[in-house]
Amino acid sequence: MVELAVGIMLGLCGLGAGIALIAGIGPGIGEGQAVAAACEAIGRQPEAKSDVTSTMIMGCAIAETTGLYGLIIGILLIFVAPGIFSGILKDTVMALK
Amino acid sequence: MAGLDPTVKKETGYIAVWTGALSLLMEGVFLLAGKWDLSVLTGNLAGAAAAIANFLLLGITVVRAAAAPPEKRALKVKSSMTARLLGQAAVCALAVGVLKTNVYATLLPLLFPRIGIAFRPAVDRRRGAGADETEGRDLLD
Repeated sequence: MVELAVGIMLGLCGLGAGIALIAGIGPGIGEGQAVAAACEAIGRQPEAKSDVTSTMIMGCAIAETTGLYGLIIGILLIFVAPGIFSGILKDTVMALK
Repeated sequence: MAGLDPTVKKETGYIAVWTGALSLLMEGVFLLAGKWDLSVLTGNLAGAAAAIANFLLLGITVVRAAAAPPEKRALKVKSSMTARLLGQAAVCALAVGVLKTNVYATLLPLLFPRIGIAFRPAVDRRRGAGADETEGRDLLD
């Protein structure tokens, strides 16, 4: 029974990690639109290319952080959470016995 | 590095300095907490390298996308973002899973560039104030 519970818990951790990585889709779309708009701005004002590029890179990096949060949660769910949850589960079972 | 856009070089340098400084701070915190070992250092190095490389590749992609035809720009950035995210995930998973580095020391440096960007307006304001002071001094001399 404990093995089944641990198996379900590991599966849910993997599922959660996969769902967390969906967060990587949004920033990609946002960055694409931001770059397209910045290119138009450079086209209108070529003399401001350096400033616009700098702001665009920083903006993209900020947008990307959202995806990184998902990545970090995913990695924690794969490498850290199973150990913690297994320990809690086994302690609970031992206490019940 | 020679063919890089000067703006990308400048911004990557800024991010590298912030990531290095915050990495040192994190190592100090681990030392003070008495939890420092080699796995913390290797994890920090792997995470910081992944974060700086990600920012450099982001800059290169953005500059290249600006030179690309309008209909391909958004797609280029989107595919680059996916590739970079997967690359970072692979580096972190390899570091934690194979090299057995400290998980937190590997993952935290990925967020250091964001902290550096958050302080950017303050740094720019200070630089601007410094430039104004120098200008004033030049005029007085």
